[in-house]
Amino acid sequence: MTEKATILKADDLSMRYEDGVLALDHLNLAVRAGEVYCLLGANGAGKTTTINLFLGFIPPTTGACFINGIDVAKDPLEAKKHVAFVSENVMLYGNFTARQNLDFFAKLGGKPDLDKERYYQVMRRVSLQEKAFEQRVKTFSKGMRQKLGISIAIIKDAAAILLDEPTSGLDPKAAEEFQEILHELKAEGKAILMSTHDIFRAKEIGDRVGIMKEGRLVMERTREELQVEDLVKIHIDYMKSEPLSA
Amino acid sequence: MIGTIAKKEIVNNLLSYKFFIVILLASVLIFTSLFVMARDYKARLADYQINKPAAGEAIAVLPPNPLSILAKGLDESMARSIGIGVTGFDVQSGQKSGNVIYAFFPAPDFVYIVKLVMSLVALLFGFDQISREKEDGTLKLALSNSVSRSALLAGKWLGNFFSLAVPFTIVTCLGIALVGLDPAIRLSAGHLGRMAWLVALSLVYIALFLSLGFLVSALTQRSASSLVVLLLLWAGLVFVLPNLGTLAARQIVKVPSTKALSEKRQQIWTSEILKTYTKEGKWREGTWNDRILAINRESNRLEEDYRRQADRLVRLSKTINRISPAAGFVYAATDIAGTGIGEDSRLKEDIIRHKNRIVDDIIGNKRPFPAFTYRYRSLGRVLAEGSLIDIAWLLAAALIVFGVGAAALRRYDVR
Repeated sequence: MTEKATILKADDLSMRYEDGVLALDHLNLAVRAGEVYCLLGANGAGKTTTINLFLGFIPPTTGACFINGIDVAKDPLEAKKHVAFVSENVMLYGNFTARQNLDFFAKLGGKPDLDKERYYQVMRRVSLQEKAFEQRVKTFSKGMRQKLGISIAIIKDAAAILLDEPTSGLDPKAAEEFQEILHELKAEGKAILMSTHDIFRAKEIGDRVGIMKEGRLVMERTREELQVEDLVKIHIDYMKSEPLSA
Repeated sequence: MIGTIAKKEIVNNLLSYKFFIVILLASVLIFTSLFVMARDYKARLADYQINKPAAGEAIAVLPPNPLSILAKGLDESMARSIGIGVTGFDVQSGQKSGNVIYAFFPAPDFVYIVKLVMSLVALLFGFDQISREKEDGTLKLALSNSVSRSALLAGKWLGNFFSLAVPFTIVTCLGIALVGLDPAIRLSAGHLGRMAWLVALSLVYIALFLSLGFLVSALTQRSASSLVVLLLLWAGLVFVLPNLGTLAARQIVKVPSTKALSEKRQQIWTSEILKTYTKEGKWREGTWNDRILAINRESNRLEEDYRRQADRLVRLSKTINRISPAAGFVYAATDIAGTGIGEDSRLKEDIIRHKNRIVDDIIGNKRPFPAFTYRYRSLGRVLAEGSLIDIAWLLAAALIVFGVGAAALRRYDVR
């Protein structure tokens, strides 16, 4: 079997904030095409910092992160052509309809010539109700907004997708639908890096699961390994363990 | 990309209630101001028709300036009836409305509306452009694409500027067109040209305050903090600084009061008249003309001294006040309209020259006296004599503030 290309790569990535806090400590990880990598960890473990570094929102203190082989710190605009992002709780533009939001972000994502039917098609794919397509987003529930958020990521058709706690606050049905969409995107060959607190979902969807603690990747397991190991127990053990710096 | 973002901002504004309420309020104020000021102009024009001197009278009166409808400035003072005598001028009070309430709530002209209301409206459009998007998560989502922060700022700025500028220009032009339909208000091509300059100047001023809103929004993490900071800045720039500058200038340059000047004139008159009598109290033949010339000479010297000091005070006040964009805007707008300090100063010089001609005619026993005529400075001259500096300063300030805003956004924590 041929090795799939690495799309997302963190190479000895560290991030120390101005106040001296070490948010990320020599992180090395790689996400290949068609792979879902789930990052678990307590609040402040460094999951969101990792995503922010991939998006170029903060510069790394040492190391580098690459999207499709492009160093994000060196050429952020080129790198961001190859990545889509779904955040935890995006409000979007409330006065715009779902389609108008999708149209705007599609244009920002480098897809200026899509027609209305293409937008509808993507919104149908994420199971957004037809009547919501031309409704103002300010009337949407969180679940509907998240579906629209993933539509924005889908329409960009980027090689990599970064998701920052996307299922947080979603009801079980919406979370299940969300999971199905991720499966489809994975099947399409997207490299998906998802930070989450949802251990069960991570176990179900992740090809690999990493646990972060105090900015370090302290454990990494493959799907096969997790068939025989209890991820919940591993996670709780790491959460309860002594601080790494102690 | 900038165009896409600008278009999004325009559509977003068109879909928001805030936009309609703010534009409606500004439109009502501009229309009301134009119509109230047009009435005021017509009332003063009617007064002028009554006060217009008959041929040969030693009185200088200017008709009110039609551009005072937009920028009243010093027009009421300039269009006063001025009786000319040997010792100086007998300035009459200008046209007064019969309604005393006007004294408490003077009608705001277009320049006043732009200075106060439109600057505030521009800040309201700009105050949450960055911080609100951060709060809503849309900033992070937008910047996760291949969009530079400068392009994002430029697009947002352009979209909001057009959202403000287009309705403002339409409402102002419509108001001017309606006012111009009144047969009593005669607007020449020159007047319309100056009005176009006034609208363009207003747009520069609005652009500056919009940039200021963007800048503060890019320096704060929360839109509520941005609003508080901007309201304080607005009050400082529009109300406090212009008054502080004038107060500071008064501490540096001392100018005698007009009352003292008037008393001094009276002293000159008395002193010179007494010289026409001998010690025995007899009239000295052939000295009258000499005395008149001496009174005129002394009065002119007195007037010149006073004007020199007053001009110094005004120049210093203007220079200090220019720190405030509101002051710079008012100086440029009134000068372009022909109701500003520069025009007033030139009018006074012309009246002194006219007075000297009349004194010569008195000595030469020539009658009737020549009529006083005044030609307003050309627009080119107005611009060259200072207004261009004010406009350039406003434009430069808008660009600098936008540039600093772009630098602030580059360092902005979008997380």
